Amino acid sequence: MSDNLYTYGIIDDEDITLDADGVAGATDIYTVSYRSLAAVVSDIDTTDPDRTDPAVEAHNDVLQQIIEYDGGRTVVPMSFGMAFKNARTLKGVLRGARPALRSALNDIEGTVELGVKVLTSDEDALAETAVQSEITDMLNSVSINETENDLFSDRLILNKSYLVDREERSAFDDAIDDVKEEYGEHVTVQYTGPWPPYNFVDIHIGAEQQHGGR
Amino acid sequence: MFIVDDILVKPFVSVLDILHTMALNEMYDTAAIRDDLKENQLLYEVGERSEATYEERKQELELQLEMAEQIQSQMSGRIEVKS
Repeated sequence: MSDNLYTYGIIDDEDITLDADGVAGATDIYTVSYRSLAAVVSDIDTTDPDRTDPAVEAHNDVLQQIIEYDGGRTVVPMSFGMAFKNARTLKGVLRGARPALRSALNDIEGTVELGVKVLTSDEDALAETAVQSEITDMLNSVSINETENDLFSDRLILNKSYLVDREERSAFDDAIDDVKEEYGEHVTVQYTGPWPPYNFVDIHIGAEQQHGGR
Repeated sequence: MFIVDDILVKPFVSVLDILHTMALNEMYDTAAIRDDLKENQLLYEVGERSEATYEERKQELELQLEMAEQIQSQMSGRIEVKS
């Protein structure tokens, strides 16, 4: 049996086990500790998992369960596909990336990411810029930070990710309700999350570190 | 303007070749097809598109994308069109 480990994300050191549907059919999700960090992992028989829709979904579902685990955990999410040869290799990577991971964990401590997309209906000739800025103002007041995402459709007038304090979550929910109430006739709002803060951490673990071990 | 530039720089590439490549680039614009895939998903998620329509469109776009990627990789390096 292979010792390969698939990694979902990094949390503050803690022993966690979850029964969940992980990547490549894994059902046992557990943590591998290195000093003050713990990687959330499951067993896998390859270091190069196939990027299929169900696999990506399983990756996101596990992260979702971690951020909601026992009142909530802060997690630095890994992008899909980070599998390591064994626990020793993984710990080697954690050692190398420890300063960056620690600082990312501190930056996002106690926060979640929420996604907001606003679409106009086909026929609506809306004063888009005014609506965009009004909605942005309403949501800015209840969030810590925001990132602008790609407007991949002509129908989209806003596509942003917000970093929100867990404690402020209900205030953000209320702000979304206000947006819907105010503009619901002209726009459709898609509100998603909580997600791990993908858009607010920027850590790249290179292929050499990933496969090479030490 | 770019055509003139290209003709000056590459006198052996005909205007027709350049126009042909531009047309292919537009037809097989992988970024635009990816955007259409994302839009299809979004419209399904907000309930504006039925599951059947979503699946049908998704399959259609995935095929288009696959073809576009093949064509783009065959075209790459043959003629470069600056825009």
